[in-house]
Amino acid sequence: MKKLLLILFSLMFSISASAETLRILAEAGDEATLTRAAAQFEEANPGVTVEASYLGWDDFMATIKLKLSDNNPPDLAHGNQGFTVDGTLIQNGLVIPLDAYADKYGWKKSFADGSLAEFSWSEDGSTWGSGTLYGISPVAEDVIVYYNKSKLDALGLSVPKNFAEFEKALAASKNAGELPIMLGGADGWPIIHVWGLIEGAFVDPEQTRSWIFDAKGNEYATSSRRQAADKLEEMVKAGYFGNDSLGIGYDDANAMFIDGEGVFNLTGTWMTAQLNEGMGDNVGAFAMPRSTGGVAGGGSFALPWHISSKSANPDLAAKFIAHLMSTDFVDDLMEVGRVPAQAPTIDPTSNLQAEVIAASNKLVGSNAKTFYTDWATPGMYDTVTQELQKLLGGAATASEFIDAMAAESKN
Amino acid sequence: MNPPRPRNSLKHSNYLFLLPAFLFYLIFVLYPLSDTIYTSFTQWSGIGEKTWVGLENYKNNLSDKKITSSIKHSFILIIFYSFFPIIIGLGIAGMMVRIKVKGMAIYRAILFLPQILSMVVVGIAWRWIYAPKGPLNSGLDFFGLTEVSRAWLGSFDYALPFVGLIGTWVMFGFTMILFIAGVQKIPSELYDAAKVDGAGAFAEFFNVTLPGLKGEIIVALVFTVTLALRNFDLIYITTGGGPGTSTMIPSMFIYKKAFQMNQVGSASSLGVMLTLLIFTLISLIIITLREKR
Repeated sequence: MKKLLLILFSLMFSISASAETLRILAEAGDEATLTRAAAQFEEANPGVTVEASYLGWDDFMATIKLKLSDNNPPDLAHGNQGFTVDGTLIQNGLVIPLDAYADKYGWKKSFADGSLAEFSWSEDGSTWGSGTLYGISPVAEDVIVYYNKSKLDALGLSVPKNFAEFEKALAASKNAGELPIMLGGADGWPIIHVWGLIEGAFVDPEQTRSWIFDAKGNEYATSSRRQAADKLEEMVKAGYFGNDSLGIGYDDANAMFIDGEGVFNLTGTWMTAQLNEGMGDNVGAFAMPRSTGGVAGGGSFALPWHISSKSANPDLAAKFIAHLMSTDFVDDLMEVGRVPAQAPTIDPTSNLQAEVIAASNKLVGSNAKTFYTDWATPGMYDTVTQELQKLLGGAATASEFIDAMAAESKN
Repeated sequence: MNPPRPRNSLKHSNYLFLLPAFLFYLIFVLYPLSDTIYTSFTQWSGIGEKTWVGLENYKNNLSDKKITSSIKHSFILIIFYSFFPIIIGLGIAGMMVRIKVKGMAIYRAILFLPQILSMVVVGIAWRWIYAPKGPLNSGLDFFGLTEVSRAWLGSFDYALPFVGLIGTWVMFGFTMILFIAGVQKIPSELYDAAKVDGAGAFAEFFNVTLPGLKGEIIVALVFTVTLALRNFDLIYITTGGGPGTSTMIPSMFIYKKAFQMNQVGSASSLGVMLTLLIFTLISLIIITLREKR
């Protein structure tokens, strides 16, 4: 009997010694990516079990701070750039700095200087945009212009090379009885992406990024930003978004675009796989050309990975991030339809993906990604969505929009 | 023989039976309520320390134009969630008294159906009905009313009343069932007497049915007004408070402040204010309408 107990005991001991569990909490958009990564990671690291759970965007963002302040939090979790989530997590010491791991695994070498600014914070979490690295992501997300190829061909137009040409294309679409831009404005946030592209066309990307990192300390109502707001108002009045955009949800708008409604669709590269599946070779993509040449647009890395400060095994969590960041995994990201932040070695899996990656490279190459307006302050998401809806619905003017945004910047 | 128990101890032991229920009430209602009231006087991001700020949250709420206008929206919604359903419910109950319809149970069940559906389902269904190319607009277009058809929930003028109409549709089944049950307990002698006195349908309704349903009307008002003020899910699903802030209601602000803006203290203070508002309104309704004894 004693022997049996001894065997049982040693068996238990050996299991607990070699078996390690890595618990991950992720936003649901990453499920395909993580399923692949977890299987590869378990195979490469015998005895390690990856337990990933997922929550949809709204639920995830509403609960992530509570989940990480729990006594038994996940080892590895997504955050979200900005003061609302990442800033709060760092201020409360819930996630650890990743600098040492970044050096060990060479993450910083993969990217241009300053391009990880969106993950960098002061150690007390009070200032953002430089300092200690707290998160990282292998995926790039860019806001670009998707277009219906046969419609653009039928209008006798080619891909616009500057913003004036883009406007001409909108006018030509409208004159031909087409809906120039398909927009799901009922959800509010898709308009942020449209605004990011118009803003990018007129405002120096560096100026927009500085404002997002420190909204209080930077002027919002600059002349170039007023010019961008005036342009958006002009586009609304010209009917380029149709009459119903505020009554259409984001998913419906994309479904309608796939069904052949609308010449342009201004959205993020996360839609690439779905648009490709729905439209095949009839959909193309380009980075928004600026009014003064070059390109610009909203966009950033995807949601950052954070390691919990209460994780029993932060090294293992970092090793998993390193797997996601590895050059080997870049091609896997391509295969699940994401846009990798590092250069892939395999050919694009579709014509659209090739165009999307070209657009993304242009944006990264000219350091022209301007993040998302709603990162600027905790109340900015509400303000910018409401004010853009007003602008789109004719319930506010461009200068009222700028005033409301400038006021929120000081909050 | 045992000595008789003193009455007092018997009384005290009775309270023991209340204990389990009271414990639940304590843990799930009284504790969260008092914690919310405490939090409402603090500044708190949701994690970490709470900082005492006194009445500041309340002052800020009252001076925030977006919040005061959202309360205005709530009062408009009371018309749709409360008054319309009660009028429709009374109308149906009044007709039921005079007209006997075969298979009434089936009609009643169908009309009551919206009440038992999840608000999320209702919201999604109506979002589709009101969509730019949804059934409502297709219907209008069919009758040549293309000028009228529009994105109803995307319109700054129409979004609020059209969300309100969904509330009417959901609530009138409830008031109808309540009033039909109420009518059945009105003594039939009163109706006979009204007939003898030569009362028509309207006189009968206003002199017999309506006074007889006073209790039920109070219950219906309390339920529907409460729902109109604390309603969240229907707005969240259909418009999210938009376009702009045209359908924003206080409960949306509570959600946004607590879960999007890291202002749990401010969210709590708005929650307390909303509770007080509901409590005051309901008390007023009951005090004004209840039977004088």
